[in-house]
Amino acid sequence: MTREEVLKDIQTKFGEVIIEVFDKSPKRAYIEIKPTAIVPVAKYIFRDLGARFNIASGVDAGTHIEILYHLTIESINLLISLRVKLDRENPAIDSLATSFEAANWIEREMHELLGIEFKGHPDMRRLLLSDQWPEGVYPLRQDYEEWDETAIRDRGV
Amino acid sequence: MGMKLKALLKSPWVFHLSTGSCNNCDIEVLDCLTPRFDIERFGMLLAGSIKHADVLLITGSCNRQSVERLKRMYEQVPKPCLVVAIGECAMSRGMFIHSYNCPVPLDKIIPVDAYIPGCPPKPEAILAGAVKLIQKVSGTA
Amino acid sequence: MITVSEGIWYIVYLLGYGFLLTAVIGLVASWIDRKVTARVQYRVGPPLLQPAIDIVKLLGKETVIPAGASRFAFLAAPLLGLAGVIAVSTLLWVNNFHPSEAEAGFMGDLIVVVYLLTLPSLSIILGGFASRNPLASIGASREMKLILSYELPFVLAVLVPVVKSGYALKLGAILEAQQGGVFIGSWSGLLAFVVVMMCVQAKLALVPFDIPDAETEICGGPLIEYSGAPLAVYRLMKNMLLLTLPLFVIILFMGGVGYEGLGGPESGYTRLSPLYGALKYVGVVALITVVRNTNPRVRIDQAMRFFWGPMTIIAVIALALALKGW
Repeated sequence: MTREEVLKDIQTKFGEVIIEVFDKSPKRAYIEIKPTAIVPVAKYIFRDLGARFNIASGVDAGTHIEILYHLTIESINLLISLRVKLDRENPAIDSLATSFEAANWIEREMHELLGIEFKGHPDMRRLLLSDQWPEGVYPLRQDYEEWDETAIRDRGV
Repeated sequence: MGMKLKALLKSPWVFHLSTGSCNNCDIEVLDCLTPRFDIERFGMLLAGSIKHADVLLITGSCNRQSVERLKRMYEQVPKPCLVVAIGECAMSRGMFIHSYNCPVPLDKIIPVDAYIPGCPPKPEAILAGAVKLIQKVSGTA
Repeated sequence: MITVSEGIWYIVYLLGYGFLLTAVIGLVASWIDRKVTARVQYRVGPPLLQPAIDIVKLLGKETVIPAGASRFAFLAAPLLGLAGVIAVSTLLWVNNFHPSEAEAGFMGDLIVVVYLLTLPSLSIILGGFASRNPLASIGASREMKLILSYELPFVLAVLVPVVKSGYALKLGAILEAQQGGVFIGSWSGLLAFVVVMMCVQAKLALVPFDIPDAETEICGGPLIEYSGAPLAVYRLMKNMLLLTLPLFVIILFMGGVGYEGLGGPESGYTRLSPLYGALKYVGVVALITVVRNTNPRVRIDQAMRFFWGPMTIIAVIALALALKGW
């Protein structure tokens, strides 16, 4: 299937949950969908279109928290990024870890750094932060404040 | 100068320790051991285990996990031991000075004897720093 | 019972020949090895006193004993190895300098030497297992496998000079039998010499058989937890082995540190020419260094296959040729 056929296929299948399709370049396409529908859309692209789950990236964009799931279809050189926007007070979304093994660790990382709750994740432990890091403090949020009294932040000159 | 220190300066065995670096400084340290910048003429050998080390070459900005391990490793080095901080990250955390994961610079954790600036420093700079360190220790002691 | 004057002579032999002479020549040989390696790799090497300075520096560092390690075995292992090397060197030097007098050697001292030569490797194994460190245990178990593999061709090849010298198990008798012509000049002697050189390379833990000591793989192997004075004793032991083992090879195959050429009767042992002896010794050390610099490190199973396969077959062939008389 070519690139246009793939995008048309997704739009016809999941038309009611897609908010916007942004054709950025011949190799990339951003599809924004509602957060409730992430699991069926991702599973469809993974299984039936033969894509590979690359990585997921999360960012705190000021007014909301958004996650991008990157899936690549290598035979036609296409990288589809599924964008979901979550609200800042209580970001929660269904976990993809039960469907893709590759999504397990990245969701743990997003949980401990951005505070996103993944419902149904089998093994939500700490991945990167050290053991003395306090619970509930998420460093990559915009309103993160220094909690460590002993940190030295000036250069001393 | 005591014979202990004199013998130490004539045969310093180096051990390379990285506390969370981007590996550029590590590659430059590895360059120093190649035949072009031969350090065996100063008696320096690369020690495989930290218990055989006399000089610790530390790279990397110390992030929280590696700080606890660094303290434990520093206790295991048989004293007398010299510490050299290589690269901007080891000197003062460089561009990571406001990072949430690097609270303190290296010389607030263990005592440092020499700093080698650069990002990464050239092998010639590392060798010049090592020679200056030897001259400094033998000049004062 | 031994008299007082004999006892004093024994102590002089032990300390003078066994320890001092061996240590000085061993340190110089270690320097030769490092300098030649450096030159082969197109760089400048260390200065002459470097191995001695290494040992002096290590004596000044503190000794850190890991928690939970067995203190007695940890500290006694290097001394055991050093004692073995000193004993072997004493026997070899005494036989070399006074081969036919009554005070030298005794029947069966060749067997004693072969047994005592396993002590340095055993001390490394003991030190490795006493360290309570998994990497040290891996290194020590590899050393054990290495010993298992090279002892067989080593003993078979050492039997060749015994056979050729008329079945005498005395080092002095082997030296005297070479007055008519050194053993390396004959076919069986040459083959046995090759086998013994390979086993010596493994005993010294040099490339291609420095598996237990693999620096980048297991961080120093059995010696990973050693520091300070015990490590200095281990390094001294390894440097002294660099004299003892080539000297053993020279006594068995090349007529000792004497004046014989390769197969021509020249003179008796009353004339010891140091120049020829030094040339033989430096030649053997140069052979060790050349093999060390031109080979990669092998795995332990390849080493075992090598020693139990080709080396044992060559040793058996050499023994058969020696029994035939060639």
